Amino acid sequence: MMPDISLELILYTTALGLISIGLAGVVLSRHLFRMVLALGIAEAGANLMLVLAGYRWDAVAPILTTLGEHPPMVDPVPQAMVLTAIVIGVGIQALAVSILIRIRQRYGTLDRSQVVERMDAEIADTASIPRDVSQESPLGERPLPSIPDSTVEIRGGHS
Amino acid sequence: MSDLIVLPLVLPLFGAFLLPIVMRTSISIGAWIGPAILAYGCWILGDQWISGTTLPFSLAIGGFAPPMGINLYIDSLALLFAFAVQLLGLLFWPFKIDQETARRQALMLLLVAASTGLALSGDLFNLYVFYELVAVATFGLIAASGGSAAYASAIRYLILSGIGSVLTLLGIALIYSQTGTLNLAHLAQLAPEQLNNKLGLTAFLTILIGVGVKAELFPVNTWVPEVYATATSRVSAFLAGLVSKLALLIILRLLVLIFHQPEAIQVMLVLGILGVISGELAAWRAKDMRRMLAFSSIGQLGMIFIALAIPEQGGLLAVLALTFHHLLIKSGLFMLADGWGGAIEKLRGAAKRSPLAAAIFVLFSLSLIGMPPLPGFWAKFTLITQLAAQTSPLYLIGLTVFLLATVIEAAYLLRLAALLYGPAAKDTPIDTLAKPAGLSLATASLFGIGLLAAALFIAPVGDLLNHVAGQAANTDLYINTVLAGTGGSQ
Repeated sequence: MMPDISLELILYTTALGLISIGLAGVVLSRHLFRMVLALGIAEAGANLMLVLAGYRWDAVAPILTTLGEHPPMVDPVPQAMVLTAIVIGVGIQALAVSILIRIRQRYGTLDRSQVVERMDAEIADTASIPRDVSQESPLGERPLPSIPDSTVEIRGGHS
Repeated sequence: MSDLIVLPLVLPLFGAFLLPIVMRTSISIGAWIGPAILAYGCWILGDQWISGTTLPFSLAIGGFAPPMGINLYIDSLALLFAFAVQLLGLLFWPFKIDQETARRQALMLLLVAASTGLALSGDLFNLYVFYELVAVATFGLIAASGGSAAYASAIRYLILSGIGSVLTLLGIALIYSQTGTLNLAHLAQLAPEQLNNKLGLTAFLTILIGVGVKAELFPVNTWVPEVYATATSRVSAFLAGLVSKLALLIILRLLVLIFHQPEAIQVMLVLGILGVISGELAAWRAKDMRRMLAFSSIGQLGMIFIALAIPEQGGLLAVLALTFHHLLIKSGLFMLADGWGGAIEKLRGAAKRSPLAAAIFVLFSLSLIGMPPLPGFWAKFTLITQLAAQTSPLYLIGLTVFLLATVIEAAYLLRLAALLYGPAAKDTPIDTLAKPAGLSLATASLFGIGLLAAALFIAPVGDLLNHVAGQAANTDLYINTVLAGTGGSQ
């Protein structure tokens, strides 16, 4: 016999699943652009959760007021909030991608560990202190390979 | 006129979008817009305070009474924070004129507007929107402030902050699905019945971690050292001094009004203790001044979280004392780091080059460590007495860690002070040593004067904070003010 699975349960599971997939993606990816995409997935999950919070299965869309009798309406507040959250999310994604473009221009890579390594080197260099080298690199401080010119765009690259 | 209170929120927002257009036609006019708006904001908020408008009051926006509409809730605490936002915005104003001026100043105005909103808003989703606005403005300011490393630290902050906002949104969705409202006063009314359960606890913890990203809470604070090391000192000072405190204010409101579960408080206490340990030890090990200050800021915020976990009015008093003390000190110290940002070793003998800066540094250090009669002593003393009055062993662990952290703090701050006053290295003439720039030094001196003034008038300041804490801790007052008082206003 089929277990009794309601549509609502499936949707809630989907929402939590999307959030988990997104968070796992952020943690596990090695590429910065994938991390940004994973963040988008997690945001979609949170938005779905918010829509579900106010949804009623026996009700109509909150703009259908001309139906004669007044049937119960879906709570419009979470939908308005989700709209706001989506707009914010898109804005932040756009900002993230534009920052990624700058990083690619300056460092010639979007690999997370390489970007972090170059950032640490640059911070240490500006402060004129030796770089913190982890136990995993027993040879001590090694110079970072120079960024190949072919990967760096000149426009906005070295300004 | 209490309606004027929206202006410090609306005018910077308006100015932020107007500024790039005005800057195109005339830079000299545009350069005055921002400071003028912020000065006016300071004046309005200060006027509210002095003219003795009955606090707290609530202002329904757009004519919809809460809980349906969104309201601003203005009590002494919100007013104090809003005033601090406008004032610090003015002090840390990016005056520098170059190609990026319009963008930088517009972002700064946006940051001030959103921060004021965080201080005043009385609606959870509204708070979330302002929180995201703060985030966007922050990312822009960090990325605009330096070289390639600033971009890298901005994107890492952005991703962590994105995780935080997903979690916050999840928590908001959970609260809404349970109660059907997001007005803080209405939630406070419903919370004892509807949120005093596992779902409420889950919602609080997700929001705690989510908002904790900005409040430098223990596991989600990896962005702090990178960002403060790469952003300009003014941006770092504003972030460390104020924005972290505003995130803390959200948590404080939620804790006082809605979530009273002991588990919630315990989690916060543990995270605070871990924050103190990790932050102070890392600060002790840091080799450059900016990152030392960044890690020390994590430790200080951890102490405030420990104070926040004390469920009485006295705990709230300790929170406020530590918060405003840290606001003064860390902003001032980051202004000093404007010229002294590099390696600590390089500062050997720098006191001869700039005696005033060194003296201010020692003043700030002593207060941060908690030397009487400086205000830092009273802030820490309040926390210690409150912690010692608790019976649960966890609080005693907190007390121990807190005292140990103070010793570590003294070690690294006084080590730097000794370097400053020590003899300069032989091969470097005094003239080549680093020195904080004039404007930064003046700003730092202002914070120093503020600190000394607080030390002189410690009794009235203490009374004031006690009054503010009492008002903020009064849940019934909040509910009655918002839900009864605003029927037809505005």
